[in-house]
Amino acid sequence: MDTQKTDKPVRLTRREMLKLSGTLAVGTLLAACGPSATPEATTAPSTTAPEVTEAPVTVPTAAAVTGNVVVMHKVQQGELTEDMVAQFEAENPGITVEAVQDDLTRFFAMYAAGNPPDLVRVQAPSVPPYLARGMLYDLTPYFEASSVLRPDDLAPANNYYKAEDPLHVGSGRLYGMCKDWSPDFTLYAYKTAFADKGITLPSETEPLTYQQAYDLGAQLATFDGDRVTMFGFDYPDMWVDRIWMNILGEVGSLLYADDYTQIVLAGNETAQEVLQYFYNHAKDRLGAVGSINPSPNWIGDDFDKGLVGLLMYGYWFSAMAETDVTTGQVLFIPGPTWTGVRRDPTMTATGMVMSAISQVPDAAWKVFEWYNGGQPSLDRAGSGWGVPALISQYALMPNATPFQNQVQAVLQGELALDTPPLQFNPYLGETTVANAWLQYLQQAVAGDISFDQMLTNIEFDVNTAIQDGIAAIG
Amino acid sequence: MILSREKTRAASAKTLKRLSGFLSYGLLIGVAFLLMLPIIWLLITSLKQNTEYLSYPIVFLPAVPQWNNYAQVFAPVFHFLRHAGMTTLLAASFSTLCVFSSALSGYAFARYRDVDASRKLFGLIVALLMIPSIVTMIPSFMVFAKLHLTGTYWPWILWGLAGSPYHIFLFRQFFLSFPKELEDAAEVDGCTPFGTFWRIFLPNARAAVATSFIINFMWVWGDWLTPRIYLRADNTTLAVLINTVFVNPQGQLLTTLTISGIVIYTLPIVVIFFLSQRYILKGMLTSGLAGR
Amino acid sequence: MGMAQLEDVLSRRPISRSRRRRRTFYTFISPWLIGFVLFAVFPLAFGFAISLTNYDGLNLFNLDFVALRNYSTAFQDPNVAYTFNRTLVWTALNLPIWLVLSFLMAVIANRKVKGIGLFRTLFYLPSVIPAVGLVWTWKILLEQNFGLLNAILDYFRPGIAVGWLTNQAMYGVTAMAVWSGLGAGMIVFLAGLQGVPDELVEAARIDGANNLRVFWHVTLPMMTPVIFFQVVMGLISAFQQLTIPWLATTNSSIGVPPRSIYLYMINVYQQIFGVGRFGYGMALLWLLIAGIILLTLAVFRTQRYWVYSEAEEQA
Repeated sequence: MDTQKTDKPVRLTRREMLKLSGTLAVGTLLAACGPSATPEATTAPSTTAPEVTEAPVTVPTAAAVTGNVVVMHKVQQGELTEDMVAQFEAENPGITVEAVQDDLTRFFAMYAAGNPPDLVRVQAPSVPPYLARGMLYDLTPYFEASSVLRPDDLAPANNYYKAEDPLHVGSGRLYGMCKDWSPDFTLYAYKTAFADKGITLPSETEPLTYQQAYDLGAQLATFDGDRVTMFGFDYPDMWVDRIWMNILGEVGSLLYADDYTQIVLAGNETAQEVLQYFYNHAKDRLGAVGSINPSPNWIGDDFDKGLVGLLMYGYWFSAMAETDVTTGQVLFIPGPTWTGVRRDPTMTATGMVMSAISQVPDAAWKVFEWYNGGQPSLDRAGSGWGVPALISQYALMPNATPFQNQVQAVLQGELALDTPPLQFNPYLGETTVANAWLQYLQQAVAGDISFDQMLTNIEFDVNTAIQDGIAAIG
Repeated sequence: MILSREKTRAASAKTLKRLSGFLSYGLLIGVAFLLMLPIIWLLITSLKQNTEYLSYPIVFLPAVPQWNNYAQVFAPVFHFLRHAGMTTLLAASFSTLCVFSSALSGYAFARYRDVDASRKLFGLIVALLMIPSIVTMIPSFMVFAKLHLTGTYWPWILWGLAGSPYHIFLFRQFFLSFPKELEDAAEVDGCTPFGTFWRIFLPNARAAVATSFIINFMWVWGDWLTPRIYLRADNTTLAVLINTVFVNPQGQLLTTLTISGIVIYTLPIVVIFFLSQRYILKGMLTSGLAGR
Repeated sequence: MGMAQLEDVLSRRPISRSRRRRRTFYTFISPWLIGFVLFAVFPLAFGFAISLTNYDGLNLFNLDFVALRNYSTAFQDPNVAYTFNRTLVWTALNLPIWLVLSFLMAVIANRKVKGIGLFRTLFYLPSVIPAVGLVWTWKILLEQNFGLLNAILDYFRPGIAVGWLTNQAMYGVTAMAVWSGLGAGMIVFLAGLQGVPDELVEAARIDGANNLRVFWHVTLPMMTPVIFFQVVMGLISAFQQLTIPWLATTNSSIGVPPRSIYLYMINVYQQIFGVGRFGYGMALLWLLIAGIILLTLAVFRTQRYWVYSEAEEQA
């Protein structure tokens, strides 16, 4: 779709309408066998790393690794540039990297033709479905032999890429890792908006409750007739189901049945309350929600223009939160809580996996290692666009300006929380639930259907998709 | 007495005619103005700064016309010229192939009506006119994907070679009107059937060839859905590109820049139309496509 | 050459000539014929075959033949019913407006005044603009906060900001679709108007009919075949609207058109390229084809009642 957010915040991907609804079949055969061979012993990574990375460990070199590695990534958005590729190829003669723009239709075409990309950029919700279809290469042996990507150096967010089986993500074999991550439930407050309304700023140490955030949003939202002149409380509406899952996690509840064969909304009291909250939020137009209360551009840009009072985005947004309009007026505060239990995981965990049927796994691993542990990862760490995926790189996060200081202080608190990863449904695509929600929410807010009917419709759509997923996986 | 009464009647008849003339023109100008309003607004917006577009209350006219917008469209970061060039190449190739293939088929349907199946097959062509291309476009995508041909321009080459029912119809109607003597003379002279087509009929079909080429070209230039599905971001056509490419480093779509790009994108079509409208409109008026 | 031989050759020529001509004919239309089979028949059949499976773009190893299950699901899917309903509303809204307005425009453009050619060209201009251009032209008119239309409305009723491309998208997109289609419609009606025999009009005038009566009793009935043609083409086009509604209502933060304009083909597109349900999407596509054919046949059936036909007259 032309729904690109060709934006610097690399974590905020384009509307994931085009993300797979769990697909992929080729590789079921290979998945049964697991990785075909232990990887060749690798030489030390050829990075110009500062002191934080370990001194390279010399390992007996086998034959030089060669191959053409196809990487599907956000090339146009600058996540994998020609310069980066050239640098890698210069240091790794024999391996060529072919970077392909991240595009779902292209992905379909490549798989239909039988040659998928070797490395693919994914987000956490894709891991269970891909795993269930045997699409993922088990990278555990590579990790264990690597001196750059040591399993004990992996930040907790990488647990999204660890799984025993598709229904138990969080520990087990390693299938990939994040390129960086953020606790995604943190809030940004626009001080000017608060001051204009005479509202005291929230605390930097005590988290708000969702109800308090709602009330603040109601106070901050300003209208001029039908027009919105200030959005009260914005959250990323395309990831709303992940927010639900996090809230439900506070009470130990799931969005789905235990075996993930159904979504349960009407039968789950907490889920009903949560959805009622977001329904009210949309009805009262407290924030930008799809086409019900459209954002002029996207909520990050709106905040940058001083149009948003309270915004829920992760640490990554701090790299772009301060603009001419908002400089000095941004306050970074901890994520909200529903019941008092504090959870602040990442909802996206953007990272990379390797195709199970890759013809050049060793070469692909070198690219993987370089991108996630080599110079690119160091550059990302220092850029402030995300918390590094390797704990040893944490110290590289920028901490110079007063704002960055304030952010780091609050961030430490969030990082200290020990939140297990959200378990995504292996039978669904990344945006199935959010899409269904946004569709029927429109009708419910307009009064065409009742709230309960909306729940029923969402359940129907999602359950149908789950059934399709189950059938496709076999 | 009688003369002056006639004169008055004649005079009032003339005034009435003049009045009705004014009314006619008034009506025509009024309708034309209403229709052109969106285009006028488009042009005005293309000369605004983006902040002027994004302002409330509305800014009707730009403070300073931003002619620079038009220059910025060609900034290297947007790759506008490159995609324009690729689109032109694609459109020209497709149009050339389609024109010749359709002309050949149209000629056959026009001059070989004695062949049994020709009427039935032509009936098929007419029926096909009514089927929207989208129903074959999506399944075709799956077929092309299997053949590794998505992301390339090959589908257009193949579609061009196959011709199009609309254009086959056009050429058939056109070639129908040629006298039979032309064919007979050519046959007596020892001309092969293809030679008759190539050296006698086609050169006399300049108007139809031009019309067909232009219509085909405009179709490829304006098509959004097919390249959106079949092509990649780096080789897609202009139609797909300009929708989303004019973005600033903060990820915001620059509306006024996009509008300038739209104007530049639409301009060739409009110019071609104005230059050839006599052919196209008359062709449509007289081709008999109406009401059949 | 002797007389006998000459006769031989002459008597043999008719047979081989027709065969030669047949061969030439098929050779000439072979690109089209082959293309037709390869790019129309085969994909349609392939699409139908896919519609009988649960193909989701990639599960080639786990493909299940599900026969007509996709079709039965389609009939139970509330989304399909909703989008079909929306498409009916769209058609009911667009078709009459377009027919009437382009007919009127043809009448206006049928005058014999100096410079009428220029006006006709101007009237046709909106139809020339490609879809992407059309959409953006109207986006800046209909945009909720910054569009011209709302600015004008705001003058009369301060504070108003109608979502012409969100919750009232049915009207907003209709406006641009009609504007775009007027020129093309006008041309066809113009051709029809010019095909009305002058003698009939003259005869009516002589009989004392004024302009309105001439129009109602002579012009309009003679135009019914053209109107019929336009109705059929308009129906077919309305039922598979996709590009314009999609482009007009989606942007960087709205990936899928709003419910108010969620037409049938939009759902098909979303099912295939958004969610990956190729099999189901193909089934929906085939249902649409069937629906269009049925509707067209139904309209053809009504011909008898309102379409004037010369052939019948003469009979």
